[in-house]
Amino acid sequence: MVKIDRRLLKNFGWTIMILTVAFCAIGLVNLYSASYYSGFSSFKKQFVWMALGFVTMIGVSFLNYNLFNRYALHIYAFSIILLIFVIVLGKEVSGSKSWISLGPITLQPSEFVKISLILVISRFYHNDFEDGPFGIRDLLKPIGFTAVLFILVLIQPDLGTSIMIILISGSMFLFMGVKRNSLLIVIISLIVVAFPAWNFFLKGYQKDRILTFVDPSVDPLGTGYNSIQSQIAIGSGKLTGKGFMSGSQTQLRFIPAQKTDFAFSVLGEEWGFIGSTSTLLLYFLLIIYILDTASSAKDKFSMLTSFGIAALFFWHALINIGMVLGILPVIGIPLLLFSYGGSSVLTSFIAIGIVIGIKMRQKPVPKEKISL
Amino acid sequence: MQNYKNRLFITTFIVVNVFFILIARLVYLQIIRGDEYEKFSLENRVRLLNVSAPRGNIYDRNGKELVTNRASFDVNVFPNEIEDAELLSKNLSEILGVNRVKIEKKIKEAKRLNFYTPINIERDIDRDTLAVLEARRTELKGISIDVNYLRDYKNGKLASLVLGYLGKPDDEDLRKFDELDTEHFVGKTGIERVLQKQLSGEDGSNYKVIDALGREVKINLFKKNITNKDVVEGNDVVLTIDTGIQKVAEEQLGENAGAIVVMNVNTGEILALVSSPSYDPRDFVKGMDRNIWNKILTDKRFPLLDRATQGTYAPGSIFKIVPALAALRENIIDQDTEFYCPGFYKIGRKRFKCWKRGGHGEMDIREAITQSCDVYFYNVGDKLGIEKLSKYSRIFGFGSDTGFILPEKSGVIPDREWKMQNFHNPWYKGETVVTAIGQGYISVTPLQIAVMISSIANGGYIMKPIIIKKIISGDGNVLKENTPVIKSKLPFSDENMKIVRDALVNAVNGRHGTGRNARIKDQLVAGKTGTAQVVSMKTKSEKYKHEDHAWFTSYFPADQPEISVTVLVEHGGTGGSVAAPIAKAIIQEYIKDKNPDTGLVKNGKD
Repeated sequence: MVKIDRRLLKNFGWTIMILTVAFCAIGLVNLYSASYYSGFSSFKKQFVWMALGFVTMIGVSFLNYNLFNRYALHIYAFSIILLIFVIVLGKEVSGSKSWISLGPITLQPSEFVKISLILVISRFYHNDFEDGPFGIRDLLKPIGFTAVLFILVLIQPDLGTSIMIILISGSMFLFMGVKRNSLLIVIISLIVVAFPAWNFFLKGYQKDRILTFVDPSVDPLGTGYNSIQSQIAIGSGKLTGKGFMSGSQTQLRFIPAQKTDFAFSVLGEEWGFIGSTSTLLLYFLLIIYILDTASSAKDKFSMLTSFGIAALFFWHALINIGMVLGILPVIGIPLLLFSYGGSSVLTSFIAIGIVIGIKMRQKPVPKEKISL
Repeated sequence: MQNYKNRLFITTFIVVNVFFILIARLVYLQIIRGDEYEKFSLENRVRLLNVSAPRGNIYDRNGKELVTNRASFDVNVFPNEIEDAELLSKNLSEILGVNRVKIEKKIKEAKRLNFYTPINIERDIDRDTLAVLEARRTELKGISIDVNYLRDYKNGKLASLVLGYLGKPDDEDLRKFDELDTEHFVGKTGIERVLQKQLSGEDGSNYKVIDALGREVKINLFKKNITNKDVVEGNDVVLTIDTGIQKVAEEQLGENAGAIVVMNVNTGEILALVSSPSYDPRDFVKGMDRNIWNKILTDKRFPLLDRATQGTYAPGSIFKIVPALAALRENIIDQDTEFYCPGFYKIGRKRFKCWKRGGHGEMDIREAITQSCDVYFYNVGDKLGIEKLSKYSRIFGFGSDTGFILPEKSGVIPDREWKMQNFHNPWYKGETVVTAIGQGYISVTPLQIAVMISSIANGGYIMKPIIIKKIISGDGNVLKENTPVIKSKLPFSDENMKIVRDALVNAVNGRHGTGRNARIKDQLVAGKTGTAQVVSMKTKSEKYKHEDHAWFTSYFPADQPEISVTVLVEHGGTGGSVAAPIAKAIIQEYIKDKNPDTGLVKNGKD
């Protein structure tokens, strides 16, 4: 079925692969430090996940992206099934039913569904329309795709991921063009929906987080504690950092969730401005590379898929690092490829694999090679 | 696709800017404020500290302090910050003079129970010890010195039974007051008890940033002041007590067991409420000392009993006021009705003696009260019958609570039903006549007598006795102000009231009056003596218990009454000789207070 075209190797996305690996390496070093006092089981697991992810990425890159186009709806349907499965039979961890337990490993389907959403929206634009801007009526289908995922994730409840879902598909809609009136209607209806959401759907701790963001000193030892401790950690890293495994905030565990959501504060404390800025730049390059892939795309599907994946990385970076730096509310989402967590690692590798696959099919294969 | 290229260009532009903002934030945190955050991370210990609410003060009616607070420096340790428990115990033991093993045990226990909760090592250390502790702070890692409040009794023992004392809460206290925890003292008796909720205030909590040595760090880590809960000071209480009169009354009673109630007859305000013997509340300030506590509990004279409100005694002759008014109203007698007193009264074959062996001869109601003739009231009682006698007694409030805020006893007004219930015997006529002179089964509290005499003085109003004048919040707002409460109006005509009042004036000022020892030159005191026989005391082992209780109840001035003074001296002898002079001294103090020119200046700036 799937023939690996040896000629494609010529155009393999080495740059993005190296960026990804470098980023993973930094994340692993960071995780090593963060888990020093609590045992290395998470470090080992993460290493295995990354290795697995790497292989998956290579595998995915060799799939023709047209397959994703063709099977986008199937993948999307499978995501829905997974999410329903999770809601019914999922494992509850700290109040959210977001995990599927498969023997020793647990998976968080809500991470993967983001990709299926990108694919299904890309397919929609690829097949159904020529040009924008689009009105709400034109976009009923992709809005429906988004809404179903959003609701299924929200009732787990996983506020962070459901916000991600909105941000990613929202970016894609905006990118493809939305009629001004439709945009107004969406904004107004979002505001209208926000009130009942605040009153009925958001749990107490989630409201606290948002309220604390508005004014962190409301509760400096409660929700605001996370944000303040994270800022202390990063700020105290100064220019060069306190050094590997010697961040007091990290090692004395003042930083909350330092392996997962707040992993970046560990980096900031121990490697300082130099370390955190370089890592940010790597992240930046990764996103730019993906956007470049979109820019040189030959068809709408691959262009929009690349754009969606760039949005995925972009929003994760902005929300996570913004939270860690105390300029955005504390919403529990990981920094992709950096935070501990198998599902998010695997998701990131799959996404990058898709991008590599698109990239290496863009350049025309040199003629002399064809003749061979 | 060119169209999309432009959009991707814009997207890239947005991404560049966002990353620029993130890096700018990193510059701000790590470069600009780096040194500051470095300090925070060094000093990063945030503690939740309880801030004790100062308990409300208690003042007398003139604003003089009766109970206030003083600072107590307490030494606590934080188990999680102790590095070397043994060394810390040794050092603390040296400085505080507390057993080293005891400290070590406490620390161990605390580490086991709750790592992050401070435990107390010593309370109320003196200033010198405090100085040493501060000086050697570096050797004492893990300690904190907290300020708490202890009760300060400005006048020592004065009115201790009224004010009450504080103690560690027991299970009952914890059930009764939900905000209470075992770390706080609670009012156990007196005003401290009944106004616990008003006085206690609400503790605040304070988040403090504290460095590794346990010192508070004054760096603005958080944008705002991080006091999460403000302290609500306890409300102040102003009593109706007059310190001057209370003091004189206590001095007058001296070592005697007894009680004194001084009341404003028109308002029901209590100016003095004395019970003796009492205890010294300063002994309880830091918690109960076992030895002192045992001594108080085993004292046969019950120093914890407030005799003024909870002591029940036969009223003796002062009770005669009740049958006198009852008989006048029931038209059994009028002001001219005379009975002959041969020194005894016969019912069947039984003779009931008058206190004057030889008899008083012909007596009318005025003379009978003035000279306290028993035979006259045997006659009256016999004619009234026990039903009417008990009915009128209850009209005066005997046999039931006065409505006072402090715990009280209601005493006993006997009648047929009561006797059947308690003794399973019918009522005898002889018991009626004995009741009429305030002997036998009848028992009353000094406070009830005070209410009764005040009603005679004020023209027939049974006032609710009040001891709390005002409750004032910490910031000076008057939360509650008690106004006089008339419980009922006596059903006697003005003429009949006047007959009794004239007789009471005579009892003090007349030639044959039994209360002549209460007479004050140029002033008109009205009063009635009483000598309650102590016959039915079960324990006759102690000799002094055979002596009679001395009563004197009075009001002043007789023509325009302002105050009533009721004195009871247990086993003191006769009312006229023992109780009346005490009342006199108190009234003199009152006069002095009211007219500073005629005596010492009492309310000046001394």
